[in-house]
Amino acid sequence: MLSMLLNITAEGPSDVLLFFGRIHPLVVHLPIGFLLLAALAELASKKPKFQPLKNYTHYVWALGGISAFFAVLFGYFLSLSGDYNEDTLFWHKWMGIVLMIVAGICYFVSKKQLKLPFYGKPILISFMVFTIFYTGHLGGNLTHGSTYLLEYAPNMIRRMAGMPNKAIPRKKVTVLDSAEVYLDLIDPVMQARCVSCHNNDKKKGGLDLTTYAKLMAGGESGDAVLPGDINGSDLYRRITLPETHDDFMPTEGKPPLSEEEVAMIGWWIGVQAPSDGFFVELGPDEEVKSMVEKYLGLDKNQLLSKQMGPASKVVVDSLIKQGFNLNRLMIDNYFLEANFSLSEQPLTNQALATLVELKEHIIWLNLSNSEIKDGQLEQIAQLENLIKLNLSTNTITDQGLSHLGQLQNLESINLYKTEVSQGLVENIAKWPKLKRLYISESKVDSLTVEQLRQKFKNLTIQFD
Amino acid sequence: MSKYHNFMRRPLTRREMLSVCKGGFGSLAFMSLFGLTTFSCNRSSGIALDSNSDLYRGPHHLPKAKNVIFLYMDGGVSQVDSFDPKPRLAKENGQDPRKKFKVDATQFDNVGKILKSPWEFKQYGECGMPVSDLFPHIATCVDDIALIRSMTSQFPEHTNANYFLHTGSGLQGRPSMGSWMTYGLGSENQNIPGYVVLDGGLIPPGGLDNFKNGFLPASYQASVLRAGPQPVANIIPKEKIPNLQEQKLDFIKQLDNNQLDSVGEADAIESAISNYELAYKMQSSIPELTEFKEETEATKKLYGFDSDDPHTRGYAAQCLLARRLVERGVRFIELTCPKVSADRWDQHGNLKDGHEKNAHAVDQPIAGLIKDLKSRGLFEETLVVWTGEFGRTPFAQGLNGRDHNPSAFSMWMAGAGIKGGTIFGKTDEYGYRVIENEVNIHDMHATIMHLMGIDHERLTFRFGGRDMRLTDVHGHVIKDILV
Repeated sequence: MLSMLLNITAEGPSDVLLFFGRIHPLVVHLPIGFLLLAALAELASKKPKFQPLKNYTHYVWALGGISAFFAVLFGYFLSLSGDYNEDTLFWHKWMGIVLMIVAGICYFVSKKQLKLPFYGKPILISFMVFTIFYTGHLGGNLTHGSTYLLEYAPNMIRRMAGMPNKAIPRKKVTVLDSAEVYLDLIDPVMQARCVSCHNNDKKKGGLDLTTYAKLMAGGESGDAVLPGDINGSDLYRRITLPETHDDFMPTEGKPPLSEEEVAMIGWWIGVQAPSDGFFVELGPDEEVKSMVEKYLGLDKNQLLSKQMGPASKVVVDSLIKQGFNLNRLMIDNYFLEANFSLSEQPLTNQALATLVELKEHIIWLNLSNSEIKDGQLEQIAQLENLIKLNLSTNTITDQGLSHLGQLQNLESINLYKTEVSQGLVENIAKWPKLKRLYISESKVDSLTVEQLRQKFKNLTIQFD
Repeated sequence: MSKYHNFMRRPLTRREMLSVCKGGFGSLAFMSLFGLTTFSCNRSSGIALDSNSDLYRGPHHLPKAKNVIFLYMDGGVSQVDSFDPKPRLAKENGQDPRKKFKVDATQFDNVGKILKSPWEFKQYGECGMPVSDLFPHIATCVDDIALIRSMTSQFPEHTNANYFLHTGSGLQGRPSMGSWMTYGLGSENQNIPGYVVLDGGLIPPGGLDNFKNGFLPASYQASVLRAGPQPVANIIPKEKIPNLQEQKLDFIKQLDNNQLDSVGEADAIESAISNYELAYKMQSSIPELTEFKEETEATKKLYGFDSDDPHTRGYAAQCLLARRLVERGVRFIELTCPKVSADRWDQHGNLKDGHEKNAHAVDQPIAGLIKDLKSRGLFEETLVVWTGEFGRTPFAQGLNGRDHNPSAFSMWMAGAGIKGGTIFGKTDEYGYRVIENEVNIHDMHATIMHLMGIDHERLTFRFGGRDMRLTDVHGHVIKDILV
């Protein structure tokens, strides 16, 4: 047994030791509870009401001492794995041993009911309690990192502890052009997926991923990232292994990286793993761009993340009088849908002019069957926030549509039963975000539709 | 107070006093500032555009769907004969189910042998979804459909199961889902009710209480339109002298308003006034709606107007009407089943004959509806839901029927916000019980509401001392079937 336990060879500690070592975080909470309870009992037994406790507190001290012994033993086994910051570990280990010894002394004093000179006992117990907290704190630093405790503390407290003010988080990227390659794409992945084990205090495998420089410095098994060489980069190899593989990262049941994250890191290594510079300047192709957009949440329409204030009451009332239905589209924002398709009145230029006053608010517009004319679409063109536009069952033509080039947010346009035809190919090119097009019963021929399908691969065309 | 004097002035109760004093003056001032009225009777203009007040009516988040067409397959379609193929039933056809698995008590306690499906399944579309030969037309739309094979209900009997499906509670008296939607979102059309039931000939067991407003204001109950030449009773005015009807109605309104002034808020009076107004408008809007003058022959043919089967023709007209209602901004449209010569989908005997007749009546019109909605661009904002109230047993009742089975059934949704070609959930090898990703009725309600822009946990109505919800304390949005 002894030979097995001490089987610390050059290859590192045996599995049995590490098995017990990993029980340390469980066992370590027992002495904390017992010893604090014992200290509390000592304090309470000063009161006459709790006097009888005096005869039993030494049992609690004994429990505390024994469990402290096991905590220290298992803690030692765990320390053999070598994954921890040596400095902190040194103090944690020795404070733990001191704690165990002091607990033993307390047991002895309590059992023999010794009278110590000059407040000896209160001082001893206070020291004991202090040791518990300090050792525990060091242990916390080892597992969670030394910044964990005060990460969210008010700046005042952080300054008292000699820490800098909370870092102001990088502003969320809203335009792809402003995305920094390392700070906005790679670093957030490291922070979210890797840094909890690879930081300054808990350097698993000797690797620290908190900054670019440390990442490039690599770990025990050499370089983590070889710029330009995906296959030679150990970091990339480990995140792309099958999840069941021993070397797979992240380990210990932590959630694996998403497909986009993996692909993004692969691409970054491929372009020589630069530390700074804008993403778009590195010449990513469309596929990478759309992947990064998805990762940054830029594939959703950015318009909707804008905060829109209430629309003017006077304008809204006037529009309702002129035959429009106006609907709010969400409770925490004031974007509107305008619907004229149910109106019993004719559509006037005046009504359209009023509509333009709400050009920021209106994102959905239904003008189906409203007898709108080509010329009137010039007014519609000013509604630059339109996402959905329904012009079905109107006598509008390609010429009318050519006015609408400004609608950069347009995702869906309904041209069912209109007179649009071949000119559509040109017009559609002006709407970068268009996803859905309805042209059944229009003057478009199947040849044009074929052309459209060739040219706009991401566009869903409804034509039958 | 006798029931004939319900609307006499009565003194302020303690609670009213408190609530008036608490925020009454403030909110009155607020309302006049923004020109709002209480929403209870306002069908169309009740959506507060300018305020964040409690009176907000409208979606919580950007909706995918503006309208719902709920295709109710009354009686319970057999899942193993429609959308959930089970080869094991064919292998073990005629064997005793009790030797194979635990059999729950059934309604008629007439458990027969394991019964294979009389229909073949084939794979359709790009997604390869298997559909039985019962639905050759719907099968052409599978790439637009998200199929849920793991539905469960709590009730093995029609009436309770119908209430549960429609109102989220197995007991009579709760508001129907359509009422909740119109209560939450209002209706866009002032001339047609926001919640319409198209009665194909069969009102489901449980009766009109499936479509009632419950404790919600009475304006939100469903209006039932019958199939045939006169969809609503008394839709043609009886008065021979022009204006006479208008004058009568004005007079009634005046009397009602007088009474309302003296009693304060009273839903029965407010709703009566708004229902009179709406009924008046429906005299012109409904005939226009139900005449299919501007519909082309091609469209009618798509729905199956040229079918030999009168029930197919009837259901086709209902489906076309549903599309027309969607165009007119009606929020929630439910279609009940046509009265075919067999029973509703409830085949306790003669499964083959009954299911075939029911399927033939609805198959082509439903496929036609989906295709028509698609080509008009309405499909991206209309949610189509197809479901029964429960499923049927994989073993026979008697020789050739199937009994009720609430432990597993199939439903599908298509249209706005739905990921077409998806199959969600799994039943065991017999199609008897759900074994993966169970979806209950509350989850279905939550998902429909989510697509309509409503957070099912936030749309509440205070009744009986608590904030009531359609999903009560249950319901999870089924994200896997959403885009």
